Amino acid sequence: MAARTITFREAINEAMRLEMRRDPTVILFGEDVAGGATLPHMEGENKEAWGGVLGVRTGLAPEFGRNRVLDTPISESAFIGAAVGAASTGLRPIAELMFIDFLGVCFDQIFNQGAKLRYMFGGKAQVPMVVRSMIGAGFRAAAQHSGCLYSIFTHIPGLKTVVPSTPYDAKGLLSAAIRDNDPVMFFEHKLLYDIEGEVPEDNYTIPLGEAEVKREGSDATIVTVGRMVHFSLEAAEKLANDGVNVEVVDLRSLSPMDGDTILDSVKKTHRLVVVDEDNPRCSLATDVIALVADQAFDYLDAPCKMITAPHTPVPFSPGLEDAYIPSVESIVSTVKSFTG
Amino acid sequence: MSTIGIIANPASGKDIRRLVTHASVFDNLEKSHILRRVFLAIDALGVPQVLYMPDYDGLVEKALKGLKLSLKADQLHMDMWADERDTTEAARQFCEMDVGCIITLGGDGTNRAVAKACSEIPIVAISTGTNNVFPSMIEGTVAGMAAGMAAREMVDVDRFTYVAKRLEVYVDDQMAEIALIDVVVCTELFVGSRALWDPHRIREIVLARAEPDCIGMSCIGGLLHPLGPRDPQGMYVRLGGGNTTVLAPVGPGLISKVDTREYRLLSLGEEVVLEPAACTIAVDGERQLEVFAHQKIRVRLTNRGPRVVDVRRYLYEASRRGVLRTVVK
Amino acid sequence: MSLTKEKMLEAYATMKKIRLFEEKVAGLFAEGKLPGFVHLYAGEEAIATGVCAHLSERDYITSTHRGHGHCIAKGVDINSMMAEVYGKATGACKGKGGSMHIADVDKGMLGANGIVGAGGPLACGSGLMAKTLGTDQVTVCFFGDGAAEQGTMHEAMNLACCWILPVVFVCENNGYAESTPWGYHCAAKNIADRGVAYDMPGVTVDGTDFFAIYETAEEAIGRARRGEGPSLIECRGFRYYGHFEGDAMLYVTEEEKKRNRARDPIENFKKRATERGLLSEEQIAELDSKVAAIIEEAFKFAEKSAWPENKEVLTDVYVNYP
Ligand SMILES: Cc1ncc(C[n+]2csc(CCOP(=O)(O)OP(=O)(O)O)c2C)c(N)n1
Ligand SMILES: [Mg+2]
Repeated sequence: MAARTITFREAINEAMRLEMRRDPTVILFGEDVAGGATLPHMEGENKEAWGGVLGVRTGLAPEFGRNRVLDTPISESAFIGAAVGAASTGLRPIAELMFIDFLGVCFDQIFNQGAKLRYMFGGKAQVPMVVRSMIGAGFRAAAQHSGCLYSIFTHIPGLKTVVPSTPYDAKGLLSAAIRDNDPVMFFEHKLLYDIEGEVPEDNYTIPLGEAEVKREGSDATIVTVGRMVHFSLEAAEKLANDGVNVEVVDLRSLSPMDGDTILDSVKKTHRLVVVDEDNPRCSLATDVIALVADQAFDYLDAPCKMITAPHTPVPFSPGLEDAYIPSVESIVSTVKSFTG
Repeated sequence: MSTIGIIANPASGKDIRRLVTHASVFDNLEKSHILRRVFLAIDALGVPQVLYMPDYDGLVEKALKGLKLSLKADQLHMDMWADERDTTEAARQFCEMDVGCIITLGGDGTNRAVAKACSEIPIVAISTGTNNVFPSMIEGTVAGMAAGMAAREMVDVDRFTYVAKRLEVYVDDQMAEIALIDVVVCTELFVGSRALWDPHRIREIVLARAEPDCIGMSCIGGLLHPLGPRDPQGMYVRLGGGNTTVLAPVGPGLISKVDTREYRLLSLGEEVVLEPAACTIAVDGERQLEVFAHQKIRVRLTNRGPRVVDVRRYLYEASRRGVLRTVVK
Repeated sequence: MSLTKEKMLEAYATMKKIRLFEEKVAGLFAEGKLPGFVHLYAGEEAIATGVCAHLSERDYITSTHRGHGHCIAKGVDINSMMAEVYGKATGACKGKGGSMHIADVDKGMLGANGIVGAGGPLACGSGLMAKTLGTDQVTVCFFGDGAAEQGTMHEAMNLACCWILPVVFVCENNGYAESTPWGYHCAAKNIADRGVAYDMPGVTVDGTDFFAIYETAEEAIGRARRGEGPSLIECRGFRYYGHFEGDAMLYVTEEEKKRNRARDPIENFKKRATERGLLSEEQIAELDSKVAAIIEEAFKFAEKSAWPENKEVLTDVYVNYP
C-alpha cells in the first residue's frame, strides 16, 4: 500500500469517501455537511460553500451528490434519531453532531434508542450507525463548544466509543466504525485536525477495542487517548532525557476497551498514570484505574495517578483554558513524583 | 395570448393586524394549496403555459410539487426585492408578454401593485389577505377555470369585466401612488408596520369604493353613503370633531365609533386637495408614503384601474353557452 | 406608535453602538487579538433596538450565539462586553464566558447562548417567574431562523402558550443557518405562520425597518404585559458578516450582498428621521462621534484590563473533588 503524509482532517475525509464508494448504503448527514449546496446558485454545479464548519467534508457532496450527503436543519434530535431509524432498517448512516456539547439536545435518540434497540428487541435489530463529533478544549470556544464528554458515552451499554489520535488511526478506526454493526460514537479532537501523519492510500480498518502502545517503556505506564496521547508522548520524551522510560498506551477506543494491553503494561512497569482531558468524575481515568485496582493491584509499586481536567466547565479566557487542560508539565511532574 | 400569469404574494395576511385586531391568518401552505387547485383547473382547460412570479417563500414551487400537469409552468426571470416591487415588476412582464389574464393571490395591496403595471389585462383576484375589498373570496378551482376559459377565449371575457376605479395620489404634482379602494391620511409620522387600525389617528379618507359590507376604511364611507365598484363616483370623508358618528368595523373584530365631520361625493376626474401636514398616506390599507407639511397632496378619482373579471357572471355565461358541455352519442 | 424624539435619539445611538462595536470586533479579530470565534450582529441592529426599546431593566431577554446586539440594546455595559470578548478579568463574565456567553442578569440579559434553540425554554422560565409572582415583567426570546427548527423552540412556544406566559418570541430570520439557506431548512418556508399551531398571533415584519419593528414589538410586548399571552414576530433581514468571522460567505451571491447594502437599517433610520426633522444632521454627527468614543474607550479598557487569575478556573462552580 502506498502511503503518504496527510492531515487528520484529510484522513477522516478519506475514510468516509472510500467507505461511501465501497458501500452504497453509507450516507452522511448533519448541519452544513453539504455546505450551502442546496442554494439555487450552487445547484447543478454540485459546488459546496463550506464542507462543514472546519472543512472536514470538503469534496464529499460534489462526489456523492445530495442524495447521499445531506444538510439537515438544526434539529439534532430528529436527525440523530433518523440515523438510528435508518441504521436499523438497512442504511449505514454517518450522522454528524457538530460539537459533542450538542449531545444535550439529542441524547434520548442516542441513549434510549440507538444504544438499546438491539438488546431490547432481543437481538432482532442492528444499529450500524456512526455519530461523528468534535471534542476538546483549546479552541477558545468556551463552555458549550469545548467538552470531551466521551466518558458519558462510555458509561452507556450498547454504544461503542472511539477517540483517535493520529491520521493513520483516524482513517482505520473510522472505516471500522462505519462497518461495525453497533452504534459507534466517533470523537474528533478539533486541535488534531491539522496534524500530519503517514496514511496508506487504500482502504483499511483498525479493529475497535485494540489499544496501541505508542511508545514502549519500563518505568511507568501512561494510559490516554486523543490529544492527550501527543501530550503524553511529549512528556515521555522529556522524561527520557532524565532517564525515565514511560510506556504510552493509546486506548483508541474506550468501548470496547482493551483491558489486556493496559494490564500487560502495568504488570511490566508497575506504575500507572491516566491522562484524560475529560472531567474527572466517573470518567475514563477512574474507569482505567478501577480496572487496574481490581485486576492488577498486586503488581503496583505506587498509587495510580490521574491527570484530568478539573471538575468544572471549560473557561473561555485563554490563560484559564490553558490552565484547565492537562499539561505536559503536569504529566512530567506526576510521573517523576513516583519514579523519582 | 393563451398563457396565464400568476402573482401570489407570500407576505399577505401576516401583518400586525394579527396582533392588534382579530384578523384571520392566511398561512402560506394554504396559499400553495389554493395555487395547486388553480393549476389543476387551468390544466384541465388545456392552457399550454403558465408564467409566475418567483418569491422567497416558494409558494408556486410548493404548489407544483408532485403535480403531473400537461401545461408548462415557467418562473419569470427577475431580480427580487421581497416587497411589492416584485409584484409590479411581474405584472409589467406579463403585460409585455401579453398574457391572457393574470390571477392574483393577495389582498388589496397586492392588486394595487399589480394595477400599477398590468394595463388592460384582465385580472382574476383571489383574496388571501386580511380585510380586502378588491379581491373576492373565491375558490381557487373556480378561479382557475374562469381564467382558463378566458385565456383560451372560450367565452369572450371582455364583456364580463369591469374597469376598476383608481385613485391617483399626487405629491407636489408628481404621481406618487395609486389606490384601488382608499387613500387615507394617517397622523403617524412613519410608515412603520403599515396597517391602520386606530380611527383616532386617521384624519381624511378618499374612497373609490364605499362598501357597507366590507371591513376597513371603505366601510366608514359605506355607512355614510354606499358606493359600489361600478358606481361612477367616489367619496371624501373628513374625520374628527363632527356631529355624525358611524359604528364601523375598522378591522376584523374591531368595531369602533368613528367620528366624522363631513363627507362629499366625488365624480370621476374630480380632485381633492388634502390638508397639509406632516403625516403618512396609506393606500389600500397600508401606510405607504411619509409626507411633509410643505408638500401638496392631491388625490384624483379616475376610471383608469385594471380590468377585473366578474367570475360569477362569466361562468354563468359559459354555462349558458355550454362551453364545457359534451353530448355523448 | 409611541415614538418621541428622545426615544429616537436613543435608538439611533443604540444601533450605532452595535454597528461600531461589531466593526471594532471584526477588526480586532482580523488582527488576531481576539481568541475563539465571534458571530457578528451587524445588519440586524434594528431588531434588537426596536424590540428592547420597549423593555425596562426589569424585563428579561434570552439571546443567541449572535448576542452582542441584544446585549447592547438591553443596556449591558460596553466596557464589560469588550473585555469579555477579549477574555479579561473585567469582562461581564470575568472572561469565563466570552463572546458566545456574554450575560448580565442584573440588566435582564440572560446570556448569549452557544446552544442553538436553548433560549426558548429559558424564556418560558423567566416568563413563569413573572406570572407566578404577579409582576408585569416581560421576557423576549430572540432566536434565529435556524433555531426555529430546533425541537426546543417548538416545545417552548407551545409551553408558553399553554401557560399563557408573558413571553414574546422574536425570530431573526437572516436567511441562513451557517451556510444552509432558510429556504432549505424550513419546510413550510414561513416562520410567522407557526403562531397558528400554538395559538398565538404570528406577524412578519421587515427586519431592517426600525419603525416597523418598534411598532410591532410595542403591541406584542404590551399584549404580554397585560397578561394576554405570547406572540411571535418574524423579522426578515440579513447579516453583513459571515456566520462567524473568517467565513468567506461563498453561499451568498454578490447581487444579494448588494441588495442588502441598499437596505441598511441605520442609514434608512437616519434618512427618515432627519427628513422628518426629528433628528438633525448635527445631532447625528454628535452622536456618531460620542458613540465612536464609547467604543474606542471600551477597546482601551479591554486592552489594559488584566487577565483573570488561574484560580478563577475553580470558582463559580461547586467543585467537590479531592
Ligand atoms: C444545538 C446546536 N446545534 C448546532 C449549533 C452550531 N451552530 C451555531 S450557530 C448555527 C446556525 C444558527 O442559525 P440561526 O439560528 O439562523 O442564527 P444566525 O446564525 O443566522 O444568527 C449553528 C448550526 C449549535 N451551536 N447548537
Ligand atoms: Mg439565521
